[in-house]
Amino acid sequence: MAKKGSYDFYLILATTVVLAAISLICVAAMFQFKAAGIHLLPPEAKVAWQEQMNSLVAPFLIALLVLLGICVPKRLLPTAWLNRFAALLLVAAGLSSWWFGVKIGLLLILCVSLGLQLAVLILALLGSQRLNFTKKGYWGRVGSSLVHLGLVLFVLDLFFYRLPGLHLLLFWVTTAATTSGMICCFYAEGIARRLNGGAEGRRLKTEGRRLKAED
Amino acid sequence: MAFPPLFLIMRENLPGMPRPMTTIIDLHLFQAAGYPLLLALLVLSTLLGISGVVNLCRREPWREKESRLGLILVNILFGAGFLLIGWLHWRINRELPLTLPDQLAAWLNNQLAASNQGAAYGLPLYDPAQPPRYIIPLWIENEKYYFWFMSFALLALLAWRRPSSHRFRGSMLVLLAVQVTLLFTLADPFTAPLPRFFAEITPWFAPGVEPMAKVGMFMKLYPRMTFYYNAHYMWLHPPLLFFSYACITLTFLASLFMLSGHRPEIESLGYDAAKFGYLLLTLGMLLGYPWALQAWGPNWWWDPKICSSIMMWAIYSTYLHTRLYANKVSMWYFSSALGILCFAAMIFTFLASFLFPGEHTFQ
Repeated sequence: MAKKGSYDFYLILATTVVLAAISLICVAAMFQFKAAGIHLLPPEAKVAWQEQMNSLVAPFLIALLVLLGICVPKRLLPTAWLNRFAALLLVAAGLSSWWFGVKIGLLLILCVSLGLQLAVLILALLGSQRLNFTKKGYWGRVGSSLVHLGLVLFVLDLFFYRLPGLHLLLFWVTTAATTSGMICCFYAEGIARRLNGGAEGRRLKTEGRRLKAED
Repeated sequence: MAFPPLFLIMRENLPGMPRPMTTIIDLHLFQAAGYPLLLALLVLSTLLGISGVVNLCRREPWREKESRLGLILVNILFGAGFLLIGWLHWRINRELPLTLPDQLAAWLNNQLAASNQGAAYGLPLYDPAQPPRYIIPLWIENEKYYFWFMSFALLALLAWRRPSSHRFRGSMLVLLAVQVTLLFTLADPFTAPLPRFFAEITPWFAPGVEPMAKVGMFMKLYPRMTFYYNAHYMWLHPPLLFFSYACITLTFLASLFMLSGHRPEIESLGYDAAKFGYLLLTLGMLLGYPWALQAWGPNWWWDPKICSSIMMWAIYSTYLHTRLYANKVSMWYFSSALGILCFAAMIFTFLASFLFPGEHTFQ
């Protein structure tokens, strides 16, 4: 069995590869957009090209979400279960993509990831010690959970952008989760210091009042 | 106060601008104050750049106190110029409303109400008591470069307080000098301010325009005012991105130094800049999303600028992920290389607006 540390490391490398692939597709799309004059095409042809590009990037988005799906239970399950879980997710996504189309496959992964990420967030908020994070500290864990939840919500939001009400609601939840998550994650020590300082300050103040009352 | 002859010629002959409008908003005063300010900024940052080169070449620090003072002065000058830009925008807001003759208002509102039917985001009706006014953000056209480079100057000043090395500080000063030189030579926001904006509104303020022609112009200017110049997102989306660009530039410098050796204090400085920059970049990009839907409708997805922004964000995310393992020797260099790649992606993303067609294009 791989060590937990090395397992995390390889997950990071795999994430790097997937993000690099998405980057390359984006760059290729830019050049194709210019070469084929997509902006000059009639709306139907433009939408068809966008759908084609969506289908091209969807497998990598699925891969990214599967990786996220592994990262999330990595914090809940022993390593031995992770491979089974990842395989199960991939098979489910592959089957549903083959049967119902790539969008449904992506939606399935999104729903599973959303459920898991919410569970992790709740456990992180409750301060559960069962979670296994690369980051240490309460705020770092909460922040990391929120950022990953934000990514899942963002992709989910892309599904519903034609429904303005739902899209805007999801969008603002995404923005709030991502931004607050990054602040908690990046500045975990500062937040903890400030909050602990505040608690310490309150304690000293109460102590002072008590002594004054005794005098 | 003496100005170069070329400047005097330019300020008297702004292309296509009738005299009354320039007088109404005191454009000449803006130019007369802005040009010497930018010139002073150029001279000062050139001196700092020279100090930076000397520090880069020497083993020992050279005139660090004076350089720090110069950097503070550069920031003060940048701040003064920014206030001046704010003043010009305030003058535009107060003095250049889109006022229509009263008898046309009712007819125009009928037209607006008809065009709003079925539209996801409609235009507000015209109110003769409060004609629409421009609330232009302080980072459009050449001003965006000003804001971007001003953000870098501020970050350089903050980074100066952190432990690093005289060479790292020197490299910050060199980069600042390069940026101010670019600003002065290619993107001066003071000598010919807001050329596109003024080109757009000049016909409106030309004397003797027929009322119906004025309505036609209004229907061109008003949507652009509502969805671009006065859009709330315009106050958030661009400045967040430009400040994040400044952070990426600092991370780039730190990454270059990381390639040359194991310098934890510089790596930590670069990482702090990267974290803050990533936060701003993500928030800025997210806030561009509902704005794009509002201004362009749903068909902006896969636009070249969007693609390049996602590419940059993906590389930045990769950098932050690999940074978690920067204590491994190979990851130290890989992470540094990604920091440099982030900067290249940022330049590419910025240039994409000029090189590729699409909704964001400046072509």
